[in-house]
Amino acid sequence: MTFTQTLREMVAEQLDYRELLVQMVRRDLALRYKQSVMGFGWAIFMPLVNTIVFSVVFTRVAPIDVDVPYPLYAFCGFLFWNFFASSLRFAVVALTSNLTLVTKVFFPREILSFVALIVCAVDLAVASVVLLGLMIYYRVPPSPFLLLLPVVFVVQLSFTTGMALFVSMGNLFYRDVKYLFEVLLTVWMFATSVIYPVERVGGAIGLAMRLNPMTGILDAYRAVLFHNRPPDAMFFGWAAVVSLLTLIVAWWTFHEAEFRFAESI
Amino acid sequence: MAEPGVVFDGVWKKFHRGEQHDSLRDLLPALGRRLLRGETPKGLQESEFWALRDVSFKVAPGQALGVIGANGAGKSTVLKLLTRILRPTRGHCQVTGRVGALIEIAAGFHPDLTGRENVFLQGAIMGMRQTDIARKFSDIVDFGGVGDFIDTPVKRYSSGMNARLGFAIAAHLDPDVLLIDEVLSVGDASFQDRCVSRMRELVSRGIPLVFISHNLPAVADLCSRVIVLDRGQLMYDGSPDEAIQHYRLASTTAATSEPDPSAPIWITAVQLLDESRQPASVFQTDAPMTVRVFYATRESLEATVHIDIFRADGIRCVGFNNFMDHRPLGPLQGPGYVDVAISRLSLLPGCYAASVWILDEHAVQVHQQLLNAFPFSVAPGQPGLGVLHVPREWSAHSTAPTSFAARAGAAQVDAVTVGSLE
Repeated sequence: MTFTQTLREMVAEQLDYRELLVQMVRRDLALRYKQSVMGFGWAIFMPLVNTIVFSVVFTRVAPIDVDVPYPLYAFCGFLFWNFFASSLRFAVVALTSNLTLVTKVFFPREILSFVALIVCAVDLAVASVVLLGLMIYYRVPPSPFLLLLPVVFVVQLSFTTGMALFVSMGNLFYRDVKYLFEVLLTVWMFATSVIYPVERVGGAIGLAMRLNPMTGILDAYRAVLFHNRPPDAMFFGWAAVVSLLTLIVAWWTFHEAEFRFAESI
Repeated sequence: MAEPGVVFDGVWKKFHRGEQHDSLRDLLPALGRRLLRGETPKGLQESEFWALRDVSFKVAPGQALGVIGANGAGKSTVLKLLTRILRPTRGHCQVTGRVGALIEIAAGFHPDLTGRENVFLQGAIMGMRQTDIARKFSDIVDFGGVGDFIDTPVKRYSSGMNARLGFAIAAHLDPDVLLIDEVLSVGDASFQDRCVSRMRELVSRGIPLVFISHNLPAVADLCSRVIVLDRGQLMYDGSPDEAIQHYRLASTTAATSEPDPSAPIWITAVQLLDESRQPASVFQTDAPMTVRVFYATRESLEATVHIDIFRADGIRCVGFNNFMDHRPLGPLQGPGYVDVAISRLSLLPGCYAASVWILDEHAVQVHQQLLNAFPFSVAPGQPGLGVLHVPREWSAHSTAPTSFAARAGAAQVDAVTVGSLE
């Protein structure tokens, strides 16, 4: 089978099973409400607490200059970083926590990772309201470059989807991926412009941190949201290329390995 | 599209035995070895085994194929290949049309969701359209007999309710091909009847069905053809009765004990003889049969010969021995044989097998047992249901006042023999 045929098959499968995706997202959202008191409150609570903690550190203990009010900088960072990190946290166990389904029923297994992503995207949408509130409070003027926001989001979505497929597959074959990946996420967060601008690091390490696609993506969000300017052509362009490649390679690999899932569990 | 059907063509499936590298700790050394050795071997490695070896069969529309075999024979592997969960290592496996699979039917249920929510979720997992589920929703609930509990979380369901609701969804799939794995073991008798009649209905509509089960009577009842798998190989493909007989024989050979080397007496051969005292494998209902047990002995001794006749589905039709019959055989000195003449074999047509035991004179200590080792069949012809042929006569009687009969000018006849059946 040629590569394009495989791609077509991958997309056709998703279309065929789109109702399953809807049902599973609905299930996970319904469960969120049934099982926890705060429901979507958690989506706001987590980035807010983090923002407060780091605002105290970086405005009182070790003040840094980030061009915009620090709470705005940090909340924006946490908001979009959390979408990435929690999508992957759900995705890493997406296959292994649905073992009976994976071994007994046929359906495109990508769906399990996609569901994790969509549920986290709902959280993102809820928490965005707080970002909007902060922007109004700090009197950030709306910019025409806000129109590029969907482009930035699509890039982040492709990168996150690709990574989600990789980690869910990885954890199916090797259960240590889950633990290794937690450590990696922590390191990754500090290598990304979540709470401080990584270009301050400088040198080879600084360059590596800037080439990290998540930095390019988060900085692009800040550029269009706060600074009334387009995303950095070089670093965001690089992030976009890496993201697209990650998505294609991950999805294709996933699709090819899918038939080994049931026997590898 | 070609007409719906199942094609299994020379399928081989390889599996890893035991744990593969589940953690990175095992992966790294394995990768190292692979790099040193170069290419991975194409054949069978030490840790691998063939779950299926060169299995071929076809199921045409309207045909119900049963798949039977001992645990580990490869039945579930066949099903997983058919549902596309696994891919064959070699060979070709194709299912044309939409597959409905009834496998571990409540697999997709989430305990915290209500029955209603789970019906829609499970339906989507099985590939049903939401509009179809909505349309059939009340049928599904009725079939599953869940009733008022449909809006209760399924964690509060009994296991029977859970399974019934799961099957009810699958039963309303409207698939092009239906695959069933051991589902009749759930639910009470009336629910099982509903399931069987639903499957029959699907088959009569021309849907090919593959039924994998240990429930031999159900297989015999539902399937027009049965294949027997034995350690990954196709052992038999044919009529249900014959297939079940093959399976029972294969599964019981292990139970046949080798003669204890210290046993004073052992069986050397067994023959089933017909009326003319010729070895036979097909008998007639109510015809005589003689079981001839050849033995050898170490010394002269008293012994008991015990014979059981089992039907193919495992029912013991009859069992007897000369100890319970108070017929001592006298001191046996081998080689020799013991005959048991059965004057009327009152069995209905079907497949049977005889088991022969040899025990000490008090029928306590077993010297040797040959379970289901001697198959035979009873030829079709005698009508009736069940196991035994019971000779019977039918007559109809009027209990109306005799004056009525007298007025009608009828003779004083109490009984009118309608017919007799010997």
